[in-house]
Amino acid sequence: MDDPRNRQYTNGDITVFWIPSKCIHATTCFRELIEVFNPGRRPWVNMEGAPSRKIIEVVNKCPTQALIWKHNQDLTEEERKTQWRVSSEEETPRSLSGAEEPTSIRIMRDGPIVAEGKFTIIGSGDQELRPTTMTSFCRCGASRNMPYCDGTHRKIDFTDQSAENGER
Amino acid sequence: MEKDKTLFKVFAGGPLRISGQFQIKGPDGKIIETEEPVFLCRCGDSSNKPFCDGSHKRNGFSE
Repeated sequence: MDDPRNRQYTNGDITVFWIPSKCIHATTCFRELIEVFNPGRRPWVNMEGAPSRKIIEVVNKCPTQALIWKHNQDLTEEERKTQWRVSSEEETPRSLSGAEEPTSIRIMRDGPIVAEGKFTIIGSGDQELRPTTMTSFCRCGASRNMPYCDGTHRKIDFTDQSAENGER
Repeated sequence: MEKDKTLFKVFAGGPLRISGQFQIKGPDGKIIETEEPVFLCRCGDSSNKPFCDGSHKRNGFSE
């Protein structure tokens, strides 16, 4: 755990550990929960983006344990003392994968539109929005951070059902 | 190259228009063949998701 690239993030309840050397770019974390795991942002993990329960669910799906978690009361003395490191230069699953690809747009089931690549966003007031290489757009109509996803689709039980004729 | 640049345009109270070069995959991971530009539903009520069908005009979607 003493690789200087390692990071830890907490919401006061649980702590998520990020160990870049173990990452194989499976992309599960940001496909499932971009509100928390967004490689286009620094720091790339935002522990306020979803409830602990949801973060745990997605961290548990990481195939390599590049992401792991602990309840804060279970932290070792050393982990407890670890300070937030300067995060502007941290590595993410995407920067580790290197290759640049054309803009990819993914429609998440019952969730947002996830865009990844080189693109420009023009807002509803015709102004250019903050540049990024990865973001998620609200599709449920109820985000409080339009045009971006803020996780509200889960609270309102947004569903794609009509588009899929109930076959799910 | 510049004309191929991917552009997302957010329409006030309306859809998201995507133009330029891009690839869209659906919830099942399959590529969705589309025209360019494409208009994606933002209001949540389209009967043709993920595409816009004009429902935002009827449900009072604003943003």
